[in-house]
Amino acid sequence: MEYVNPLTGFRVDGRRPNEMRQLKGEVGVVARADGSALFEMGNTRVIAAVYGPREIQNRGQQVNSNEALVRCEYRMAEFSTGDRRRKPKGDRRSTEISLVIRQTMEASILTHLMPRSQIDIFVQVLQADGGTRSACINAATLALADAGIPMRDIVTSCSAGYLCSTPLLDLNYIEDSAGGPDVTVGILTKMDKVTLLQMDAKLPMDTFENVMELAIEGCKAIATYIREVLLENTKRLECQRG
Amino acid sequence: MKGLHLSLNQTQRVRLDTALQELQSLAPAAASAAAVTVADTIPVNQEDNILKGHGTVDQDGEVVATLCGVVERVNKLVYVRTLQARYKPEVGDIIVGRVIEIAPKRWRLEINFSQDAVLMLSSMNLPDGIQRRRTAVDELNMRGIFVENDVICAEVRGFQHDGSLHLQARSEKYGKLERGQLLTVPPYLVKRKKQHFHHLMQYNVDLILGCNGFIWVGEHVVVGEKTKTTGDQQKSSTEAENFTPLETRKHICRLANAVRVLSALGFTLTVELIIETAEASASSNVEINDMLGAEFYVQTAEREAKRRADLLRKKNGAR
Amino acid sequence: MLQSKSFVKKTKQGRIQKVVREHYLRDDVYCGFVPCSACDAAAERKLDAAAAAILVVDTNVVLHQIDLLENPAIEDVVLLSVVLDEVKNKNLAVFNRIKALCTNKARRFYVFANEQHRDTYVKDMVGESSNDRNDRAIRVAACWYQSHLGESTKVLLITNDRDNKRKAIEEGLNAETVESYVRSLAQPGLLDLVVVPTSGDVTMEDAEDHRPSKKKVIYNEHKPMSEVTSGLRCGIYHQGKLRVNRYNPFEAYVGSESIGDEIVIHGRSNMNRAFDGDIVAVELLPQDQWHESKSFIADDDEEEEDVHLAPNSADDAPRNTSSTQSTVGSSAPSVSSRPIGRVVGIIKRNWNSYCGSLEPMPMPAGSRGVAHALFVSKDRRIPKIRIQTRQLENLVNKRIIVAVDSWDVLSRYPSGHYVRTIGDIGDKETETEVVLIENDINTRPFSTQVLACLPPLPWTLSLEDLSNPNRQDLRHVRVFSVDPPGCRDIDDALHCTLLPNGNFEVGVHIADVTNFVHPGTPLDEEAAQRGTSVYLVGQRIDMLPKPLTEDVCSLRADVERLAFSVIWEMTPDADIISTRYTKSVIKSCAAMSYVEAQARMDDSRLVDPLTVDLRNLNSLAKIMRQRRCERGALTLASAEVKFEIDSETHDPLDIGMYQIREANQMIEEFMLAANISVAEKILKYFPLCSLLRRHPSPTKEMLEPLLRTASSVGLNLDVSSSKALAESLDNAKSNDPYFNKLIRILATRCMTQAVYFCSGDLTFSEYYHYGLAASLYTHFTSPIRRYADVVVHRLLAAALDIAKLPPIFQDGPQLTGIADNLNYRHRNAQMASRASVELHTLIYFRTRPTDTEARIVKVKANGFIVFVPKFGIEGPIYLTPRGDKGGDWVVDEVHQRVTKPGTNISYAVLQTVRIHMEVVEPQPHRPKLQLTLI
Repeated sequence: MEYVNPLTGFRVDGRRPNEMRQLKGEVGVVARADGSALFEMGNTRVIAAVYGPREIQNRGQQVNSNEALVRCEYRMAEFSTGDRRRKPKGDRRSTEISLVIRQTMEASILTHLMPRSQIDIFVQVLQADGGTRSACINAATLALADAGIPMRDIVTSCSAGYLCSTPLLDLNYIEDSAGGPDVTVGILTKMDKVTLLQMDAKLPMDTFENVMELAIEGCKAIATYIREVLLENTKRLECQRG
Repeated sequence: MKGLHLSLNQTQRVRLDTALQELQSLAPAAASAAAVTVADTIPVNQEDNILKGHGTVDQDGEVVATLCGVVERVNKLVYVRTLQARYKPEVGDIIVGRVIEIAPKRWRLEINFSQDAVLMLSSMNLPDGIQRRRTAVDELNMRGIFVENDVICAEVRGFQHDGSLHLQARSEKYGKLERGQLLTVPPYLVKRKKQHFHHLMQYNVDLILGCNGFIWVGEHVVVGEKTKTTGDQQKSSTEAENFTPLETRKHICRLANAVRVLSALGFTLTVELIIETAEASASSNVEINDMLGAEFYVQTAEREAKRRADLLRKKNGAR
Repeated sequence: MLQSKSFVKKTKQGRIQKVVREHYLRDDVYCGFVPCSACDAAAERKLDAAAAAILVVDTNVVLHQIDLLENPAIEDVVLLSVVLDEVKNKNLAVFNRIKALCTNKARRFYVFANEQHRDTYVKDMVGESSNDRNDRAIRVAACWYQSHLGESTKVLLITNDRDNKRKAIEEGLNAETVESYVRSLAQPGLLDLVVVPTSGDVTMEDAEDHRPSKKKVIYNEHKPMSEVTSGLRCGIYHQGKLRVNRYNPFEAYVGSESIGDEIVIHGRSNMNRAFDGDIVAVELLPQDQWHESKSFIADDDEEEEDVHLAPNSADDAPRNTSSTQSTVGSSAPSVSSRPIGRVVGIIKRNWNSYCGSLEPMPMPAGSRGVAHALFVSKDRRIPKIRIQTRQLENLVNKRIIVAVDSWDVLSRYPSGHYVRTIGDIGDKETETEVVLIENDINTRPFSTQVLACLPPLPWTLSLEDLSNPNRQDLRHVRVFSVDPPGCRDIDDALHCTLLPNGNFEVGVHIADVTNFVHPGTPLDEEAAQRGTSVYLVGQRIDMLPKPLTEDVCSLRADVERLAFSVIWEMTPDADIISTRYTKSVIKSCAAMSYVEAQARMDDSRLVDPLTVDLRNLNSLAKIMRQRRCERGALTLASAEVKFEIDSETHDPLDIGMYQIREANQMIEEFMLAANISVAEKILKYFPLCSLLRRHPSPTKEMLEPLLRTASSVGLNLDVSSSKALAESLDNAKSNDPYFNKLIRILATRCMTQAVYFCSGDLTFSEYYHYGLAASLYTHFTSPIRRYADVVVHRLLAAALDIAKLPPIFQDGPQLTGIADNLNYRHRNAQMASRASVELHTLIYFRTRPTDTEARIVKVKANGFIVFVPKFGIEGPIYLTPRGDKGGDWVVDEVHQRVTKPGTNISYAVLQTVRIHMEVVEPQPHRPKLQLTLI
């Protein structure tokens, strides 16, 4: 199948290879949580809620009392994919993605400022259309910032793939299931450091570098957007406070 | 805006938007200019030898924010004042909390902090009001004082060496709160003031604005009476005696709803504003339950916009 | 860049499932009109300002009038993405042609992504069919163009759909049918290219007038698609690709996966209008009808067999299942159980354009008007095609190309339209071109992009190459090459040095083509597409541009050249002690022909080092050959012929069998050894993505004709393995000196062709090369003329860590695609060579009627097939006049003998007969070679 139309240069959904889907971010969507966010990348829609820092519930999990314990739970809603299927909790995939998100966010959270406490991040996929783990990380960043948890930097994530000999930014589900390589990158945007890099296909080194470069560009664009959302929210809160 | 997910009709939405827009325009320009998000560089004059406070970190010689909030500068200190965040205790803060656990010689309280706060048995006045060493009997009677889920008012005593937060309740005015409603709002909406206890005479209601964002609205209690009523022998009779009048209960609900509306709109909670809002609802014959309806939100926002505009005009006129 | 409006499309798939997809609309899709100032300046522009009208075409115009669009008279065409998508879904071949038009810089065809443009996107309306929706989209886009370009430029919608045209005009658009537009161009020749619409209007009635009696339904209606799919699912029908027998167009096979066997289809009515290559749905006939195969052939007028070149393998030879079945008697049931079926529906058409000529016919009286003619394709698998033309007198004696448009149930033949003329029938250039077109051989000159990839010329060895640590300097070694005389593309050379320990160092040096052809470049893509060089009589069509083929890569004498070498250390007993692979620099000291090399070896007076090397190599080769034969490699024989060509007229002067000398065998032996060594190496490093060559073992059924012939002359062949066969072939001797060779020739044509494949696609046991009795084989030694060798060079270089493995090797399906293309090209190249030889044979005999000896290879009811060893051709000899089937001749199938009862005249297989060969013209301009018995 042609994922990039050779005559028009457009992808199946009308984007160019280096274009992202439409982004949408909103904070404060869960009333009871300390911080929460809804994040959309095209049809991929993810909700994240952060609770904490709060008293550690299970002291057994605590590794270092001088640092906050970060926990993460990822879950696909049953209605998130085309076929409505009961998704067992804690399957391999969710466990893996939970871990990925936790580690990525831990790299940014200043855990030493919140000793003897824990931070819970819950992310749930409401609609899945490719790039869910990227969307989850972006949503989690928004929610953490909303919760007023100190962070080193804004973490954003974006995926890129390589199909029809073209590096493609932000794969949607059709492109994702094409079986080509799928590189998910997470970066600390200001510090320009990579906190997440996943790929489960073979790709020649030089091609890989191009694809990764593209993904990083995507991450930076997302970061710009996320900052906009946060700054706008901060200003609004401050102004209303009076 | 937390909790503000109302079903507005078209005109209400427009009105709310204009009101909020106006609020935004009324705010001092400095406030929005000083707003930062995570990883924003805070401009500082490097020669000033500045002190980096909360919410900042040094990154390659730059001062970078680690939180979303407003940059505040006090002399050489530069810090980020957060808005949406958990409570950050300061010694002497008056807080309202809820007992969640009874441990040896102490109660643990949830006060919207990153840990549970500790109220030692030794840090509070006993019912008999006598200063003395706590005995084992006192320890056994702890449940006679506070049990789980009791709402308590106390004062921040300070951090212990192990990093835990301790409270004290050494005054008559502290202690268990009954016959009222506990409301939780984001802590940034409560400003630290001299007075956090308010006796609203006209309603016979106590209003406690806890610094941690827990707000108590309850029937007025005469200080000193409280201790008597807890006596066992009077238990059966007090129930009837202390029956809260319907009128007072209505007042409590009205005030509580005013707090809900104001906090949902993100307005700083002051006694004046709460009373004004409650009055307004009463005077415009809004039913207590209708206060949480869309229309009242919009009205409150409009009223606040008008109030602030007047304030600004007065200020400018005075100048 | 992103347009903020987003739409969702809902589609249903299989189970009831809602699929929601995003569809981004944008404002950066430009019109492509040169003088347009509203669009982005940097955007690509193709549509000329001077154009009389900007043409917007609809899907059916592209699908049916592609030949017209390809004509340079049609320019300034806007192709909407909705049209392209539809074309792609309906006919991939047409899509590829239109795609080539759009990417061709010289043509002014512009692709407008109307589905992505926010002003031309059309939302589906409730109750609207997708066709209507697309038509509407086309009109909306045309409207947009008109308003975008303004009134000064005319935008013309070309559609043959009456309804669409009416709506367009109602919407204020200019719209015309293809025919009226072409008429307005006033170029009468163009009108022939226009496909006449078949939608049941006037034209069809006219055509039927010619044959009023045929106005009945000839074919069964095809089953509707829904019925076909459900039938396929529940197993009533079987899906497969229809393959028409090359030698009997009334017989076809459908390879069905659901049955696991080939389904035979007899007769045109059972084929039900399917063409060769169509994907069809087949229904099996009841089992009791499986035997009446013969009767179907009799229905149609059986075409006579032509004289043709003796086949080289089973793939070239006629398939003769029907004759096996008629052998029957008692032993039959095991053979005759092949399923027979009929076509009920065509899932995918493989309609193409075909080369051929018009069937001779009397010139109609008023020849100015539209005439109907029957077109006969050169490819016998294709039925006659009915066409209309206004230039009949011009076409009668020409080779022309015709495309198929439709085939109605009422019509015996499909109808098509004229595409272009190649030239006069019988003319050598024309016929050669026909051969090339028929075999899909690209003869276009290399494009400038391809030529830009060449190294700067004249090329000389650079210091950089010499200092490359991966490249060994072997210029001091005495390297030489042996090739056919006049060979310009020398891709192999050898050396043989006596080592102090008494062993030999033998090196095979192959032109280092991959040093110049880098993966992914246009040059590489072109070479991959061409696949192989094609050798015709007196002509060569190169795979790589001439400078590479004849100079830079060619290992000519006395120049420094880059090579890829395989170097062995061998004992005098030809045991390989070690193998080494390296890139190298060589300087060949002599480029000999086989004759020269043979002469040197045979001349015992010569003792110069070169001759000694040759003799050493020869003795090694003999041992290797011996050993290989012991392993069971087959020594097969083919009847290759050689022409002597007049240098002026390029007509053949003499014709003769190609003589094979020891020197040929010597070179062959080392090339085989090098190929095997390389195959081992690359498979070891890349077990999943190596390109290898295999030769499947022939099945019992395929060997059947050989066994039958052999037993009729009292010879017993053991075909249980290649070794057994080789031995029994060696033992097949009689007092006839040519007997053994003849048997070997017959054996050769029972074999299938060897094929390329990707090692990941098969299991190790399937890698076997039957003919060479080698467990592994590949092609490494001719990278100048075969792309497979280029691929193998890259694999070997990667295995040696000299170069990186190009990414394409990680893509299994793509690699399989390359292997398939190589097989296809290889096969076509062979067919073209054979056709070219046949053509030249015909030209040769045109002026030289000859009497010669021939051998009978097959006995038929009304005659027999003879093989003429001297000229390598094969053809029928009729004992009875044509049309009279058998009559007074009796065929003895068991002994392969035909006898006339009452006399003692009889002919048996392998018998020698004297024949007369002459070119006759039974119909004007249709020369053919005729064989008659003396």
